[in-house]
Amino acid sequence: MRQVKHFLPVTQVVVPPDEAAAAQALREAACSDTAVYPIGGGTNLAYGLRPVRPGIGLSTARLAGIVSFPAQDLTVTVQAGLTIAELNKRLASERRWLPIDVAQPELATVGGVVATNVFGPRRFGYGTIRDYVLGFRAVDGQGEVFCGGGQVVKNAAGYNLPRLLVGSLGTLGFITQVTLMVQPRPQDSRIVMCDVREFEGVECLLAGLSRSRTLPVAIELLAGRPRPDCPFPQAPSGAVARLLVGFDGSQAEVDWMVRQLRKEWETGQAAGAASIRVLSDGELERTWSWLADFSGHLLIHVLPSEVVGVVQAMARLVPGASIQAHAGSGVIRVCWFRLAPSEADGEMFTADLREKLRPAVAAAGGSLVVLAAPDGAQLASSDVWGLPVDGADIMHAIRSRFDPKGILNPGRFIFGNP
Amino acid sequence: MRALRAAVGRENVLSASSELAVYECDAFTIQRQRPAAVVFPRSTAQVAAVLGVCRRFECPVVARGAGTGLAGGALPVPGGILLSLTRMNHILDVRLRDAMAVVEPGVLNLDLTRALAGSGYHFAPDPSSQGAATIGGNVATNAGGPHTLKYGVTVNHVLGLEAVLGDGLVVQLGPVENPAGLDLLGLLCGSEGTLAVLTKIWVRLTPDPLEWRTMRAVFETAEDATQAVSRIIAEGIIPAAMELMDQGILAAVEEAFHGGFPLDAGAVLVIELDGPAAGVDEDQRRVMEICRQGRAREVLHARSPAERELLWKCRKLAVGAVGRLSPSYMIQDGVVPRTRLPHILGRIAEIGRRHGVRIVNVAHAGDGNIHPILLFDERDRGQVQRALAAGRELLEECIACGGGITAEHGVGTEKVTLMEKLFGGADLEAMRRVRQSFDPAWRLNPGKKLLPGAKGPEKCGK
Repeated sequence: MRQVKHFLPVTQVVVPPDEAAAAQALREAACSDTAVYPIGGGTNLAYGLRPVRPGIGLSTARLAGIVSFPAQDLTVTVQAGLTIAELNKRLASERRWLPIDVAQPELATVGGVVATNVFGPRRFGYGTIRDYVLGFRAVDGQGEVFCGGGQVVKNAAGYNLPRLLVGSLGTLGFITQVTLMVQPRPQDSRIVMCDVREFEGVECLLAGLSRSRTLPVAIELLAGRPRPDCPFPQAPSGAVARLLVGFDGSQAEVDWMVRQLRKEWETGQAAGAASIRVLSDGELERTWSWLADFSGHLLIHVLPSEVVGVVQAMARLVPGASIQAHAGSGVIRVCWFRLAPSEADGEMFTADLREKLRPAVAAAGGSLVVLAAPDGAQLASSDVWGLPVDGADIMHAIRSRFDPKGILNPGRFIFGNP
Repeated sequence: MRALRAAVGRENVLSASSELAVYECDAFTIQRQRPAAVVFPRSTAQVAAVLGVCRRFECPVVARGAGTGLAGGALPVPGGILLSLTRMNHILDVRLRDAMAVVEPGVLNLDLTRALAGSGYHFAPDPSSQGAATIGGNVATNAGGPHTLKYGVTVNHVLGLEAVLGDGLVVQLGPVENPAGLDLLGLLCGSEGTLAVLTKIWVRLTPDPLEWRTMRAVFETAEDATQAVSRIIAEGIIPAAMELMDQGILAAVEEAFHGGFPLDAGAVLVIELDGPAAGVDEDQRRVMEICRQGRAREVLHARSPAERELLWKCRKLAVGAVGRLSPSYMIQDGVVPRTRLPHILGRIAEIGRRHGVRIVNVAHAGDGNIHPILLFDERDRGQVQRALAAGRELLEECIACGGGITAEHGVGTEKVTLMEKLFGGADLEAMRRVRQSFDPAWRLNPGKKLLPGAKGPEKCGK
């Protein structure tokens, strides 16, 4: 609750026991024009603009069951408040999984993942939650329950409302139930790591990976200030970056891919892959979750061929930054940090963002959003979300039809701060 | 008409009655409607100009690719303009480093695949109509194909879209993702031309598999075959494709292509695995074992690329071969949870018997996506009516099984009245909100995908 109140202007948190109660709460809120802030596991409350309009929190904590899990159909239907850890535990019992990396899986919920579209290293091999949401139930801004999609893995009937909800930050509806496609859990997994001394060498390696005979599920690039709790020894001082390449599959497949990648890297030694090694069993799982746990302050998307340039620019513009790129997917996360922290950090962050970082990303044709800001940062919508995108008018029109009074998560997303 | 000619040039407008006849239906031939005119824009600006004209004259407009759609999505509307995108057919860019190609909507699916041959990449969606279908049409219907089992449907392979809205405004969504907004790109995929007209598509390219292992398993009954499908998935193996052909269609296929299929078999599965040899060899062994345990009479694997090609030719052209069985046919598209396949195939046979309609089946069995093919003679109104009734009933059965009325062909005009069987009133209303946010006047492809509610279209400006 303290965490919630830090980020959201709520006087109380309502915890409906079922969907009907959630709908009732929303109907009442609509009548009294009260803002409603949906809350899942509370792990991503810092994302977006800081809302100011007082209202109530609406928590999915008691909507946390598994509705059905026909394992042979590779689908699962769950209530939105189920945590990712609980979901994965249940899926694992049938040798299934949801291959989406989520930070703090013991707290983060399925509904929250859908609303915020969080992802991690394995995005390269598996996509995001967008590619897994088959259907949902939700309550709109007038307290009306609606569904979208279905329970089957392939469905062309109706508009793709499940995708519309992904990443909508709770502004179209309070999600109560989600049907997901799941996958067979791979038998085995490995990560191969190397150090690189020059950024030119990094681009050579990444371009090489795009032509590789192997099929990585993750291509992670680490640069800048090392993050704490790293599960493997630090890079030697001469390296500018570290590259980690992850594989999933049967044991035979993974073994073959690891051997093949080593071969490709060793014959291309000129490209600069130094101290190649395969992470040990002891390091492996910790490394996957350590990589998935990094959220950062900034989330940047570019085309994959622009990743190295932007990583280099970020390292130069923010000397204390920790940088992690899901390089195969064109995603860069930056943890902003000043070598000499001070009370003025919030202002410095805002200034950096406006004057240096956003322009650098724009020059590379990319997008940038703020996932979290240091305390004291006074951010406008254009700081957090950038300038309005193409189609913004349609987005506003959609929002106003699903939530005519603008009570769902007001002030957090691109729809302004009424 | 003069405004249209001014918008795209005289040579890009058809309005003579004889010329329009070709465009009065797509591959759903049961309904026909002659458009007022057909226009062939050659650029985004021309599409925008045409939509501007349609807006000025309050004239409905239907976008059309190659007209291979099976649900009447490109059926013209009375007094409306048909906007053919076939002359916007250039591959604009291929960027292998970013695993991306940029195409105009009229590029044929297979032409992109051919252009990429040897590059190490391909465009994964491979509907059976890929030799004729356009990528714009693939996006508009969110087309699938045999390999969607492993690789997903079209929406999973679209990185960006340029589209013209009903008011003539051009928007670009992607190809670089931007979390600062709603996923309009995801909405446009599969929207069947009811939200906007696509003018440029950034597609994701997929690395070519290192190896293929393609098998065919022959079963005494369709039920045994579908049980094997469930077992394979339950074992945690996701083949690249898992296709079923039943006895009815095997006869036609065999006569047409001489694939060596036994004519007395209940069903044949074509199963393809792909990936590095280290993985597919082991999976192949397991798949063959599961099929044998599941009472397969015979399990063979293609020993050469030529044998693999023959198997795929038989499967992909199977529907065309149906012409040997019947003067007319209608291919249905339904979907059920995979484990309900044995049930639905049994019900389809029963429905066919009851309506006196012969039904043969192909299916993307791994996805639970069935394609019953209803045979009839178009010249006999009674037969047509019986086939339509049987088709409708089997889709209602799919709904009853927890499935849906279309997996990859779209709703079009054919299934638009079934939407209310599948969705509740509030769900349809939610979709109408989307429709009205894009196109308040319902001018784009009206009567397809979704019908206006009792309240009718919202008035503009409201």
